Parts: sequence; structure tokens; C-alpha cells
Amino acid sequence: MRLRIEQRPEPSAQMRIAAPVIATALTFLAGSVLFAALGYDPLITLHAFFVAPLNSINGLSEWLLKASPLILIACGLAVGFRANIWNIGAEGQLIIGAIAACGVGLFYPNPESPLLLPLMFLAGTGAGMVWAAIPAFLRARMNTNEILVTLMLTYIATLLLSFLVHGPWRDPAGFNYPQTALLPPAAMFEPFDYAYRLNPSVFITAVAVVLMWLFADRSFLGYKMSVSGAAPLAARYAGFRESSAVWTGLLAGGAAAGIAGMAEVAGPLGQLSPQISPGYGFAAIIVAFIGRLNAFGIVLGGLLMSLLFLGGETVQMTLGLPAALTRIFQGVLLFFLLAADFFIYYRLRHIPEHA
Amino acid sequence: MFRLTRRQFLRYSGATGVALSTGGLAQAASAEDPLKIGVVYVSPIAEIGWTKQHSLGVDAIKNEFGDKVAITVLDNIFMPQDAERVFRELAASGNQLIFGTSFSHGTPLQKVAPRFPKTAFEHCSGIVHLANLGTFEAKYYEGTFVAGAAGAHMSKSGKIGFIGGFPIPDIVGPANALLLGAQSVNPEITCNAIFLNSWFDPGKEKEAANTLLSQGCDVICSMTDTATGVQVAGEGGAWSIGYASDMAKFGSGKHLTAFVLDWSTNYVRAAKGVAEGNWKAEARWDGLAAGVVKMAPYNEAIPADVQGKLKQLEADIGAGKLHPYAGELKDQDGNVKVAAGSVLSDTDIRGMNWFVRGMIGKLG
Repeated sequence: MRLRIEQRPEPSAQMRIAAPVIATALTFLAGSVLFAALGYDPLITLHAFFVAPLNSINGLSEWLLKASPLILIACGLAVGFRANIWNIGAEGQLIIGAIAACGVGLFYPNPESPLLLPLMFLAGTGAGMVWAAIPAFLRARMNTNEILVTLMLTYIATLLLSFLVHGPWRDPAGFNYPQTALLPPAAMFEPFDYAYRLNPSVFITAVAVVLMWLFADRSFLGYKMSVSGAAPLAARYAGFRESSAVWTGLLAGGAAAGIAGMAEVAGPLGQLSPQISPGYGFAAIIVAFIGRLNAFGIVLGGLLMSLLFLGGETVQMTLGLPAALTRIFQGVLLFFLLAADFFIYYRLRHIPEHA
Repeated sequence: MFRLTRRQFLRYSGATGVALSTGGLAQAASAEDPLKIGVVYVSPIAEIGWTKQHSLGVDAIKNEFGDKVAITVLDNIFMPQDAERVFRELAASGNQLIFGTSFSHGTPLQKVAPRFPKTAFEHCSGIVHLANLGTFEAKYYEGTFVAGAAGAHMSKSGKIGFIGGFPIPDIVGPANALLLGAQSVNPEITCNAIFLNSWFDPGKEKEAANTLLSQGCDVICSMTDTATGVQVAGEGGAWSIGYASDMAKFGSGKHLTAFVLDWSTNYVRAAKGVAEGNWKAEARWDGLAAGVVKMAPYNEAIPADVQGKLKQLEADIGAGKLHPYAGELKDQDGNVKVAAGSVLSDTDIRGMNWFVRGMIGKLG
């Protein structure tokens, strides 16, 4: 008996629902084996991973705080991904957004102005879009590969940040250490409650999710972009310009990442240092794909990634599980999730031996 | 090498996990509640390096207090956003003493500490201390001064090399002291300095070490978190000086010495203070005298009389008879920065952003 992989004539509706369930079941199974083999009670460990982090208000607040930038960026990226525009430099666009926003916050003449936060928002958005406009221009005009350009610009953004915090923007009262002064209170989002860190920037993410849904499922431009992603030749025949898809896709990703950078610096960070993003720009790519490039899928994907991260810390704290083991477990879950999605579009067929 | 280290790390951390979990069960049974201590590392514990030396400090607490303490360790917490959450969680879950071990933990600790006024926080390489946030730091420059003297005794080319992460005072100061120590033996000696602009980049470090070798440096001091500099120097037939841990086994027999960091007194003192209820937030800054900085065993190739001189140097610095930054000190352009007869103030040492005369290279 042989097996063959073949494309389904239609994406399977049952598998669409079953895939995440199968993936979760397989992950729990593989995780249990892994934990048991190392001498940890699987049930207690899984509880510590997925339930304990959300047992308190602080836990919920941290959960949303961590998920928010992931969801926001993934929404922006998905706009481009649907049209096969591969912006993998959201990390750099986030950093540039954070730099621009922090620059406004630090150097605006009136540090108590209520306009400070809106200006920082505009600066972050604009800077992220400018950073994404470079690969958009190069791709639209010179057909340069946007994967390479967006990735390379991430390194440039990192070095620019490093230059600023080691040089001109360094905190004069900071013993020459590489970080800026703390932003004035008017340049920071005020947390809902000072006992927790969650702040109103989550509403920006909520708006972005709705916009993404409207754009992708309800707008003509979104439809054009999906078509140029699915069938570029057909799109061209119908008169859809490829360059408009390139610009829209990259600018949406850049704007979202820039806003996320602004929200980090005006939220949990409060200053610039040489490292400001725990890889949100890259993790958001995974989130976009776990969410199948769909607004509400992305929300679930972002919440899952964030929970995995918090859970990894909780098991380390409460059970002493080594960090490497928790990372293996996170990898297993992502693997099963993405692998199970494969069976929505493909199936295994038995092929009789004598055929 | 890397693979081996990683495997050992896995084994080690696995063992720690088991030890901690069984330890926790044993304590739950005992009548008296153990002192709960939380420690946050910036990277995984490797065979050598910054975090390894901190883990030895934590081991010192375990040796001293046994099952009277319950220690929770988190590693690889680097980003400020994550650090703040972790410190908050540790404090909220009842840890009475919490250690942050990296400069990047500073701002998060300053935000969390005021919310938990009954918890004692200790921050290694911190610059801000609060009512319940103490800091501790090592006088690296005392170690590099002695190491520089050792290098000058062995150097034939009269050129030593220095590799650092970033041009911040914590690195620039020790680089200066390395050369000053060398100049105390040979006034004509010079030092080429290269900054990697990264805390951890073995690839770049290898390139930097090769560059220094091709520039004629025959002693290389690498103040980074890897043994790469020591390794490349040894393979190229040059002497090397290790940092944080004794790196002799990576040096192909050419490892002169290392300025080793030993934080155990800081860890044990803080734990004792909290256990006895008399902990106070202090800003501690210790070197050779307190044993926070130690010289690793000198290479046998160093003649016995020179080794005697180096030991004398350690003793003199420890006793305060000799100050590494004693005047007259000139900067690269020949301007007098410290007049003869005076020494650089502690504040100026912590803010050192200039190179002494004889340093070759630029800051930033």
C-alpha cells in the first residue's frame, strides 16, 4: 500500500474546523509524553501552561498587553500576505515607529501638551509607512525582491536605534548607559489601573482588527488584492494594477508595525534602549499564518502566542521547568497547528500496489 | 564547542529543574517556611561567562542556607517588557528577595520595586538605587590593570589588543585600566581597541580578534560573554586574557590569566540580611579587596618573579596603596585629564567616556 498527497478539488470545510482541534489534541498528547518522560506531571504542567497564567487580573492584563502588538502587526501584514506581498521587515518598521514616536515625546517643546500622544501616534504611523515605502517603491518600480529589502531594512533600523541611544539621544543623567531619558507622563498611555500595565493602546488594536476585517471581506480593494494574490494573470487581465497591491500591502504593514512600536514605547517601555522589541515583528508573521490571514483568526493566533509565552514563564516559575523545554513545547504546538492546516487543502490517498 | 555547551546546558538545566521541584516538595513538609528568593538571568547558563558567574552566586546561597531557602530561577529574560512582568510576578508570588542580573533589568526594577515596598530587590550593574532596590557592581578596572601588567611582561611586540561589547563606561574604563597596567611595566606599550556593538556575537568577535592579530597585537583581552577571543588568540599563537570566568581551557596554553567575577558575597549577604530582617538597600561597588574581582591562576609560562610582582600588585590595589586611575592621566590627544597626585573620582570612573593616551581606536 502506498500513500500519495494530492490537492483537494475544494478546500475541505470539515478540516477547516477539525484542523485546530486535531492540532491541539496532538500537542497535548506530545506535550504530555514529553513532560512525563522528564518526570513532571503532565496535567499539572499543562494547567500551569494554559490556565495558571490567566488566573489573576494581572495575568489577563499581561496576556492582552503581550498579544496586542502581535495582533496589530499581524493584521497589517495579512493585508499584504493575501496579495503575496511578503513584508517580513515589520520588526524594522516597528523600531522606526518607536524611534519617531519617542523622538516626538522627548523633544516636543511642551512636555505636558495633551497633543503629545496624538502626535506620537502620527509620527509612529508615518515613520513605519516611510520605512515600508522604500521596499514598495523598489518593488513597484524596479521589481526588487521585497523579502530581501524589508529584511535588510530591519538591520538598518536596529543600527539606527543603536546609534541614537549610544549617541545623540542618550540620557544625559544616565551615566552614559545606552538608553534615552524616560518619556514625560503626558507622552505615555495611562494604564487602566496603576496596579497593572494594560493601557488604552489595546483599543487601537481592536480598531485595526475591525478595519482589517472590513478591508479584506467587505471592500473592493481587498477583493482586488486577494485576486492578484490568488491569480496574478487574471488580476492583470481584469485591469488590477500590481503596483497598487504592492503599495497597499506594504504600507498597511508598515503603518501597523509603526503604531505597535509607538504603543510599546508609550506603554510598557517608556524609553528607548538598544533592544525594544522581543521579536514582535517576526512573531507576528507566525500569528498572521496561524490566523490564516483572517482578522478574527489573527486575534486567536495572537492570544495563543501570547499565552504560550506567559505559560512558558509560569512553568519555569512554579515548576522549575527549564526554559529550553518550554520552547520545545511551543514549537511542537506551532508545528502541529500549521501542519494540520495543510490537510484543509490536501489529502492523503491510498494507492493500490498493482496500479 | 557550541554544540557541546548547549548539550551540557540542557543537562544542567534539566538537573536544576528536578532538584528545584523535589526541593520544593521537601520544604512544603518542613515546619518553618523557607525564605523565597527569585533570580532572573539575562541569558541561559552556559559553561562560562556572565550568567554562569551569577549562577555560582546562587549556588553559594544554596550552600549557605540549604533547605532554608526556596529559589526560583528564570533565565533568558532580556527584554525590558518581559523583565518587568517577571519581576512583578516574582514579587506578587511572595518572593522576599529578588535579583536582577543585567543592566537591561534596571528600568523594570525601578518601576516594580516601589509597588512592593516589603520586597528586597538587588540589581547587579545597576545605577539607580531606591529604598528597597540595592545595587552591586564589580570594579573590573582593578582586574584589567593587573592583567595588563601581566600582558606587558609577556608582550614582545609592545602592542596589546582589547575587544569590548559597547563603548560604555563599564567597558571603556576597564580597557583604559588594561593599558595603564601595561604602561606601568612598559611606558611605550599601546592598545588597539575594537567594539563589537553587540553583547554576544562570536562571529564578529572572531573577526575582531583576527584583525588585532594582523595588527601585530600579541596579547588579546576580550571583555565579552564568550571565549572566542581567547580561543582565536591561542590558535594564532598570541597570549590571551579572559573575562568573567577562568577561560584557561580555551586558550591553547596561552591564557595568561582572567579577571574572574565572584558575586557570591553579594548574594549571600543579601540573603542573610533578608533572613535576619536587617537588609538595607545599598550601592556596593567592590573589587579585588572584597574578592568580587579575582585573578585566575597565572599561566605557568609567566616567570616566578613576575608572578610575584603581579601578586604584589593585586595586594597593593586591594589595600588601596595603588589606584589604577592615579594621575597623571592624559587622553588620546594629550590633554591632562587627571593631574599628578590625584585620582579619578568614583563618579568620573562610572562615567568614563574617553580613552587614555596610547589607546588606538575610536569610541563609537
